Amino acid sequence: MGVLEIKQLYKRFGHHEVLKGLDMDVPEHSIFGFVGQNGAGKTTTMKIILGLLKPDSGSVTVCGEKATYGGSKTNRNIGFLPDVPEFYGYMTPMEYLKLCGEITGLTKSKIKSKSEELLELVGLKGEKKKISGFSRGMKQRLGIAQALLNEPKLLICDEPTSALDPVGRKEILDILLAAKGKTTIVFSTHILSDVEKICDRIAILHGGKLALCGTLSEIKERRRHNGFVLEFENEKDASSFENAEELKQPSIGLSRNENTVTVLLPDHDMDGHLLLSVLSQKRIVPLKFEVMEPTLESLFMEVVQ
Amino acid sequence: MNGYLAFLKKEIFEYVKTYKLLIMLMVFTVFGITNPLIAKLLPEILESLINDKGIISLPEPTAYDAWTQFFKNATQIGLIVMVILFSGVLSSELSKGTLINLLTKGLSRTAVILSKYTCMVLVWTKSIALCFVLTYGYTVYLFPKDETSNLLFSVFCLWLFGLFLLSALLFSAALTKSNYGCMLITGIVVVACMIMNIISSVHKYNPISLATDNMGLIMNSIEVSSLYSAIMISCLLSLIFVSLSVVIFQKKPL
Repeated sequence: MGVLEIKQLYKRFGHHEVLKGLDMDVPEHSIFGFVGQNGAGKTTTMKIILGLLKPDSGSVTVCGEKATYGGSKTNRNIGFLPDVPEFYGYMTPMEYLKLCGEITGLTKSKIKSKSEELLELVGLKGEKKKISGFSRGMKQRLGIAQALLNEPKLLICDEPTSALDPVGRKEILDILLAAKGKTTIVFSTHILSDVEKICDRIAILHGGKLALCGTLSEIKERRRHNGFVLEFENEKDASSFENAEELKQPSIGLSRNENTVTVLLPDHDMDGHLLLSVLSQKRIVPLKFEVMEPTLESLFMEVVQ
Repeated sequence: MNGYLAFLKKEIFEYVKTYKLLIMLMVFTVFGITNPLIAKLLPEILESLINDKGIISLPEPTAYDAWTQFFKNATQIGLIVMVILFSGVLSSELSKGTLINLLTKGLSRTAVILSKYTCMVLVWTKSIALCFVLTYGYTVYLFPKDETSNLLFSVFCLWLFGLFLLSALLFSAALTKSNYGCMLITGIVVVACMIMNIISSVHKYNPISLATDNMGLIMNSIEVSSLYSAIMISCLLSLIFVSLSVVIFQKKPL
């Protein structure tokens, strides 16, 4: 059973239907990349999970318990990091974590030890400044600390890296990676390189539903085209390869750009061997023979278009 | 309960750190000290200005004048300052999104509303008590011979009206998104009370009587028992406003 299960979730704002029957299942101890364009409904989905928004229909189950709108019972298993976390500016990080700890009902000694541990993790240890003087990156890091305070089974991060510079982004990703063993992380973003760096599972939200879902390698495998890129030493070789009789089939896609030829083979019973035999027949040695790997970006573009 | 106490502590901390408590206490301290002084000095100032021709001679000031100042300042400027200060009680947290973190930590929305009301009541109680003690001390010092009746009861009525006003304010805050909307609705509630006061049979039940009949009580021209219905109604309405705030806030999309 997954930590988070979403079934047939619908939500509309006025005439705009954002979620149209979203189904999602997040298994335990994964880092789940939740990808989608701006306005695809990522934040809406998260707010529904947290009981901050009311779905039109459908159900959300967190750790086997049903989440309800306006209620906060399931939230004790969840840590949430909003896209731009806001704090009480007149508090210091320690004071803020103390407030959070008291609300979750931790004991005094536990709050103290946990706060110190987390501030150390996010690199804010010994920070005596008030939060109003914090930079965006520091607020984001404090946001992670408060989200992890109650040792949640599920950590939900809403675009934690979107507003940060490359250094800040790397720091946040490292912190999330470090938290991986202890909790399940759902992490929404539209920065695909971040997903590739840390997520083991991804889901692409498009048109109010999940357009793609699975582990990164699974998805890439499923979407792999039988594509090859061949680079030749000169134009003569390239054109002689391109005009080979064996490749003159309507189902084979051929395109040439100067000395590089891209071949798309239609299905799996035709594979690279065919190209190799053409090459050996014509006694051409290419400079480069490469199997095309789908990138997350190409997958995303394909799904979204 | 955990959430209520923790959040109440945060609220008090916030009023201290953002100087709201200080502003309230300062305003009411200034009133407390100046009420009797103005009562004492105003006739002298006026006389020094117009006495050249010797036409008007003003009556000697009494303790009643000091208490008139007290109730006038507290009900007019004091309550307005309070409403303005507290008008952002929910909207500031909602627009900034500071509540989201705590609600997703399992803090219940009911606890938010109740602790916010408790804290506002505490600040108001502190302010009016301070103002009362100061006015009382100076009045006894400046007008030692004058006797007043029903003084504590009269101040209690004013305090209760403050509680009623705060519950209306909280209700307005739960209903609207901005602090202007909050002030507007609170203002409408007060104006509605004032308009209804024109009908003399309503006066007996109108919460606003608690803030307008104070001098009558002190001068013994109004019976204490005549305010019992207004007290009951005010308590009831406050309870209804706070409960409605809880219900509305529970259903508010954040």
